[in-house]
Amino acid sequence: MPADRVLLVDDEVSFLEALAERLRMRGLEVVCAKSGREALAEVENQVFDAVVLDLAMPGLDGIETLRRLRQLQPELQVMILSGRATVQTAVEATRLGATDIFEKPTEVDTLVQRIRSARAARLAREAETTQQHIDEIMRSKGW
Amino acid sequence: MAEGRRPGLQREGLRFFGAVGAGLSHELSNVFNIINELSGLQQDIAAAAQAGGAGIARLSELAARIKSQVARGEEINRSLHRLSHSVDEAEEVFDLGDALALFGALAARPARLAEVELALRPPADPIALSGDPFALLLALHACFKGVLGAAESGRRVEVRTESVAGRVRVVLASADPVPGLGSDPALASMLDLACAALGAVARSEPDGRGGGSVILELGAGSGPGTGDP
Repeated sequence: MPADRVLLVDDEVSFLEALAERLRMRGLEVVCAKSGREALAEVENQVFDAVVLDLAMPGLDGIETLRRLRQLQPELQVMILSGRATVQTAVEATRLGATDIFEKPTEVDTLVQRIRSARAARLAREAETTQQHIDEIMRSKGW
Repeated sequence: MAEGRRPGLQREGLRFFGAVGAGLSHELSNVFNIINELSGLQQDIAAAAQAGGAGIARLSELAARIKSQVARGEEINRSLHRLSHSVDEAEEVFDLGDALALFGALAARPARLAEVELALRPPADPIALSGDPFALLLALHACFKGVLGAAESGRRVEVRTESVAGRVRVVLASADPVPGLGSDPALASMLDLACAALGAVARSEPDGRGGGSVILELGAGSGPGTGDP
């Protein structure tokens, strides 16, 4: 079975590298992006089970990045991992489809558990979509 | 500056303190979060080493990274400390270069978030000013916010000092046009109060090449001026 794939987005490179290494040590495949723009480019080219996204970043902030990520892939599982998620930004992130809001520092094993759940949710949705396509084809053929 | 001028600055001063303090606190949180992850990574590697992996060299490298984050945290804390003490005296003699260095440390985060390079050109020699160092920080903050708000991503804002006819001025120069200083009422109010307390004058002007500057003339007025170096 392939590893869970996660895109980690944070402008603090030292934080990004350390967390990525810890996730890799737990068997995850990790791609790092240092900005919202880099994250969008990665999501255009690859499939991820989950995205873990910081909020306060130069250029595109986390909320704007989340908005654009969900426009690119409406089913994408995006989790917020931020040091200062206010109630207002948390509500906005949830409204835009973020599945979890984690406050730094967070337990890495909790994060891994949620990423693995995100993968299971993605695979379940894909199976459901495939079944719907099959049902439509069968109906259209009168089978 | 007389102590009596302080009350007018208090509201604007608190807004400035709030914004800058929150930024510094966020930067410190970043440092703590990095140290937390590095420490967790050390534990992971130590556990793997006990299980037969080779981790000693990595542990030593991580210790160096933790040390560098502690140094970064101390630098941020030093800025917070200096900012806090800038309100101690309503009138004192202080060095413009020191004040600009503190301003640069405080402005680094908003510049980074706006993706603008802040190039600080401190004076080559000490320039002693007499007045309220907090009012100068407030004035520089208001000028910089105006310039930064109009600067495009990827641009550079240069902050330098000049001496003209015995007076010192601080120039904040941008490759982008700088709006009039009254265009943002909140910043204009902050700048007016700070300049009044300093006896300084601020103005914006185009540079003739598509960019512009905000110029803060110090010692122009009835208040404090440049002292002896």
